[in-house]
Amino acid sequence: MVYEKIVSMICEQFGMEPEELSETSTFTEDLGIDSVDVVELVVELEAEFGMSEIPEEDLKKMRTIGDLAEYVRTHADI
Amino acid sequence: MKIILDAMGGDNAPASVVEGAVRANKDLDVDVVLVGREAEIDKCLSACGSARGEHIQVVNATEVVTMEDDPSMATRRKKDSSMTVALTMLKNGEGDAVVSAGSTGALLTGATLIVKRIRGIRRAAMGPVLPNGGKGVLLMDCGANVDCTPEYLLQFAYMGSFYAERIMDCKNPRVALLNVGTEDTKGGALQKESFALLRQAADAGRINFIGNAEGSDLMTGRVDVMVTDGFSGNVMLKTVEGAAKFMFSQLKNVLYASTKNKLAALAIKKDLSGMKAMLDPSEVGGTAMLGISKPVIKAHGSSDGRAIFNAIRQAKACAEADVAGAIAANIEYMKIEKET
Repeated sequence: MVYEKIVSMICEQFGMEPEELSETSTFTEDLGIDSVDVVELVVELEAEFGMSEIPEEDLKKMRTIGDLAEYVRTHADI
Repeated sequence: MKIILDAMGGDNAPASVVEGAVRANKDLDVDVVLVGREAEIDKCLSACGSARGEHIQVVNATEVVTMEDDPSMATRRKKDSSMTVALTMLKNGEGDAVVSAGSTGALLTGATLIVKRIRGIRRAAMGPVLPNGGKGVLLMDCGANVDCTPEYLLQFAYMGSFYAERIMDCKNPRVALLNVGTEDTKGGALQKESFALLRQAADAGRINFIGNAEGSDLMTGRVDVMVTDGFSGNVMLKTVEGAAKFMFSQLKNVLYASTKNKLAALAIKKDLSGMKAMLDPSEVGGTAMLGISKPVIKAHGSSDGRAIFNAIRQAKACAEADVAGAIAANIEYMKIEKET
């Protein structure tokens, strides 16, 4: 559910298709998403899942959609 | 009409921001909200012979976003910065527009994260108006988006066209695609695909796309909206600025070269001042961040009171003309449905 939600958000925000995305897709190299885009995505996710702000040091470790999905799964109250 | 100002943003803040705001309150019939360190703002208000009141409000914010802050994180890290508080107030409907002379990257990111883009707009773009001897030419984008897709450029064209029509008073604005030649087949993949999309939009009667244009066309008056990716746009903008500085320095050298030339310069002093004023960025105001759901204007970092005043005038015009509303109302034409 979390992964699907992230994919849907990326498609909506950046005009991509679900088929273009996978758990291993990297934000920078594969999707061409820059640091501002990642923060924008994260802000939406925090609101969607009622999470507190993701610390910067954790954000910097996230390279792929899978990394982000895993973080949300373990930190959000779902 | 209420304009929110990031009072701490810019090289001459808060003095220049306060000075511009006080003048705008007087001459433009707008209420202003100065956001920042209130003690400093009050001091500047006093220096301007003014004080906070019903039409000049002060909202305290203890932090300042600096040029050293990471633009992508600044407004998240500094929640009580003048920039973050100003943008949050705009989001909450406590004003009609925001003006800031602070960090461009932080403002763009903050506007995107807090005020949000218009739904369907892929990227916000920055569109400065450059002088061309007429109503000016809008350069879309001038650096916000280094990597662009054809869909981005299509959206820049629409947004630029709405802005030119409503703010620059251009009827049926002439939109061109910056390219390495004017022939339809010129350019790389981005230009060719964008050209096709812009042609379709023109054929449907939605924008007045006049085709490709070269860099040399920018300031000739042939184009009202020059569409390009942020990388090329920024290179073009900086080249124009550099060329203008060079030309003026050369002109100055000639005019000071001899007594005869100095006398000639004296004779045309007024005309030269007029030309200088036409090329003065302070007269334009600031750069609109198009694609954001409410008006956000970036004033130049070195803005003086006059530049801030003009940026407020521009912000007022954007809010009154509802440029964002016009973009949102036409969003369905700006999306590219991918073939499945």
